[in-house]
Amino acid sequence: MSAADSLDSFMQQRPFFLAFLLPALLTAGLFLVALAFVLQYSLHAFIPGSLEVGGFTLDNFARVWRPIYLWVLLDTLSISLVTALATLVLSYPVAYALVRTRRNSVRTLLIVLAITPLFTGEIVRTYAWILMLGSDGFLNSVLEGLGLISTPIALLYTRLGVTVALVQFSMPVMIILLATAIAHVDADCERAAANLGARPTTVFWRVTLPLTMPGIVSGTVVIFAWTMSAFSTPQLIGGGKVLMISNLVYLQGLSSFNFPFAAVLSLVALVLALGALALIRPATRRLEAEVAPA
Amino acid sequence: MATEHQARGANAVELVRVSKSFGPVLAVHELELAIRRGEVLTLLGPSGCGKTTVLNMIAGFETPSSGEIRIDGKPVTAVPPHLRDTGMVFQSYALFPHMNVFENVAFGLEMRRLAKGEIAAEVGRALEMVKLAGLEGRRVRQLSGGQQQRVALARAIVIRPKVLLLDEPLSALDKNLRAEMQIELKELHGKTGLTTVFVTHDQGEALSLSDRIVVMDRGQIQQVSAPIELYRHPANSFVASFIGEINRLPPARCVLEGSSARFELGPSLRLEMHKARGLAAYHGRMVNLFVRPEHLTIADAHDPVQNRIKVRVLTHVYQGTHTLVRVDAGALGTLQLRVPGGEVIEQAPLGAEIEVALNLDSAIILAD
Amino acid sequence: MSPALAAKLRAGLFWSAVAAILVYMTIPALVVLMTSFSPSELLEFPPAGLSLRWYARALTYPDFRDAFANGLIVTGFASGVALAVGAAFAYLVDRYSFAGRGVLEAILSSPLIVPHFTTGFGFLLLGARLGLSRSYGIVIAAHVVLVLPFVVRSVYVSLRNIDPRLERAAANLGASPARVLARVTLPLLVPGMAAGWLVAAVLSLTEFTASLYVTAERTQTLPVAMYGYIREYSDPTIAAISALLIIATTLLMFAANQYLGLSRVLSIDGH
Repeated sequence: MSAADSLDSFMQQRPFFLAFLLPALLTAGLFLVALAFVLQYSLHAFIPGSLEVGGFTLDNFARVWRPIYLWVLLDTLSISLVTALATLVLSYPVAYALVRTRRNSVRTLLIVLAITPLFTGEIVRTYAWILMLGSDGFLNSVLEGLGLISTPIALLYTRLGVTVALVQFSMPVMIILLATAIAHVDADCERAAANLGARPTTVFWRVTLPLTMPGIVSGTVVIFAWTMSAFSTPQLIGGGKVLMISNLVYLQGLSSFNFPFAAVLSLVALVLALGALALIRPATRRLEAEVAPA
Repeated sequence: MATEHQARGANAVELVRVSKSFGPVLAVHELELAIRRGEVLTLLGPSGCGKTTVLNMIAGFETPSSGEIRIDGKPVTAVPPHLRDTGMVFQSYALFPHMNVFENVAFGLEMRRLAKGEIAAEVGRALEMVKLAGLEGRRVRQLSGGQQQRVALARAIVIRPKVLLLDEPLSALDKNLRAEMQIELKELHGKTGLTTVFVTHDQGEALSLSDRIVVMDRGQIQQVSAPIELYRHPANSFVASFIGEINRLPPARCVLEGSSARFELGPSLRLEMHKARGLAAYHGRMVNLFVRPEHLTIADAHDPVQNRIKVRVLTHVYQGTHTLVRVDAGALGTLQLRVPGGEVIEQAPLGAEIEVALNLDSAIILAD
Repeated sequence: MSPALAAKLRAGLFWSAVAAILVYMTIPALVVLMTSFSPSELLEFPPAGLSLRWYARALTYPDFRDAFANGLIVTGFASGVALAVGAAFAYLVDRYSFAGRGVLEAILSSPLIVPHFTTGFGFLLLGARLGLSRSYGIVIAAHVVLVLPFVVRSVYVSLRNIDPRLERAAANLGASPARVLARVTLPLLVPGMAAGWLVAAVLSLTEFTASLYVTAERTQTLPVAMYGYIREYSDPTIAAISALLIIATTLLMFAANQYLGLSRVLSIDGH
């Protein structure tokens, strides 16, 4: 069979192959090139006052190790961790209710309430929290109105405020991920446990929770990685007092125009996010294998 | 104590005027049933007849819309599933995937706070009873379908429940395994003596396993009888058609003459029955006649038989021990005969015009 | 306490907790709605009255109008391109195996994990190098990359649910591969493609972080314009726009659930 023939039969067995592949390749290529530029800039010297960059250097990477920057990194990690855990605890009951309720109207309501915020966009949601947390904001007005406080509590520009907002941001995604996991738990297993004498709380701890563990772990890590990339919330609600990596990138890149250092920080954030997910994969795989239905 | 004695009456479970509706749909209608201690009772019926709903109500997963359910004489309507002390085997087995065989079977005993040593002993005993001794450490997904079912059984019987509930336990098994499991289930019941309630749509299964069968249709009980009684004397047309193979003849008018009866199915078609007993009530009325395939025989030209019908052979279905022969009997419709062996295939080939003897002595006559 | 009572109490506690959590999730949106009708410039709760002045301002503010138009242009092209590229790629992944498929899949889904500011910054640099920094092109390119994974996922799930025998039957009856694609496969994929396109469009319209890096003042999208406004002014104009966006999105979600069945699309069918 000649080369032309084998190509022909290949194309016959796979119609549209090239036509469908090329656009995808192009898009992937574009993305990789964009990231490559980030890498390139990170390895070149910053020339203050100019967008041009100098020669090859590793100084930018060295700069990250300075304590002020390391603190920001640490802060980012800790805020992300707290957010992820808090999101988990608050999302699980909603996800469980969503999956196990027998009434379709309730399920629709839960889905709409839980998922819609996801599509209104960061700016709208962050602005909403500015209204909530400010000293003239909703929370303070309510607390003062109820007579519980006499002077406004500072919630804006604090870690607490940023975290509360970030948790609310992350809940829709966590709810979706958990709901999928819970939906895959055989309800008969829960009934079997009850039938054998387990109280509802026992059924939850001994059956439902273990069987949803893979979803819990992967969901928490996804939210953790996602939160590390959060920008508008720490930017507007942190107001410069709460700095995460994203804000640092913005300051360096779009304020100081130190593209090289902004590039390094972007890459660090990327590596941290990818790293977190890569680290957790073997654990999730093992968990999934353990709870796979027979 | 006197009250305890009263509680441990002859009935393990009682359903008193139990109804259940799901929205506008009435799934179970004013059901009255007493399940005797130690018996094997089967709820049998087509899908949608309400049998699984009844099972779920006994277990506590559904609440009756009205009526009362009593276990061991005590009303359990307010008792949640985990306190009812019933043992359920689900159709999908519902084994806990994250636990191994031992942990699965031990679960119920753990809930009952038994000591570790006791649990180990009981689990060992239960696994032996279902012939799975030695498989304690296996994970659920390493088990075959049949093995999973045994684990599900062991898990339910080890807690010595007041009543054992099985939801279509054999439906997921292939034919050979099913026959084997039927025998094992009977043996198991012999050893444990547990009151057992089956749910199935397979009447063959019901006939072989049960002490009594409850035939249900559209939420109501049609008949409650022992298998043989059910087969020979179905209470109505539904039960007659549902249990076993049967030929249903067109409606006929019953005319009694002395000790014999005549059934007129049309202007020129009549069937005779010489020893008509207990048919006094049917005189002059329209009745339905049901004849089992094994009670139809191919008539020899010279046999002195009561009712000869000319038929044409339509199909043969050879089944090894016997052959099912479908014949066109004209005004009587299509009839099915069950003839032992396979010789009939040559003796009465397709399209042949033969005569069939219709013996009404074992016929089932119903007026509904 | 009787078990029945305990069960009722437990259920009550559970649903109260769920309700409280939902309040936490929903209150910010309600506060926005409330504020948008406030007649005064300053924040006060409850608002002193009802006024539409901020809506009027929001709808006539030139920056917002231009930004919204930009958003429509960017999203229109980005979601369209993402739909075409993504659907085609999903088809590839479902039907064919080829060397490097896994790698390509990973690269195209990585924008989900890569921080938006990293992606945005990268495209900013790319645009600068290509001399395209003031154009829509670079913004559209960035958006395509960001929303592609959602289209691919939605179409892929739809593809998996197509009975392959339908396509074989069409081929058996004489339809060429192109015909089968056009007359059998595509029509069956419409719900999946519609859902994927919808998600892509909404995410693109509301995308902020990456857009902040790749847009210039001339091409800025609505979220970026809103950000600029928030940093300068503190009146409730943003509340009005936000309120409009929230209401529009909520209605969209109800409609999507009605016609596409959200729980199926998100694979959380439960019982």
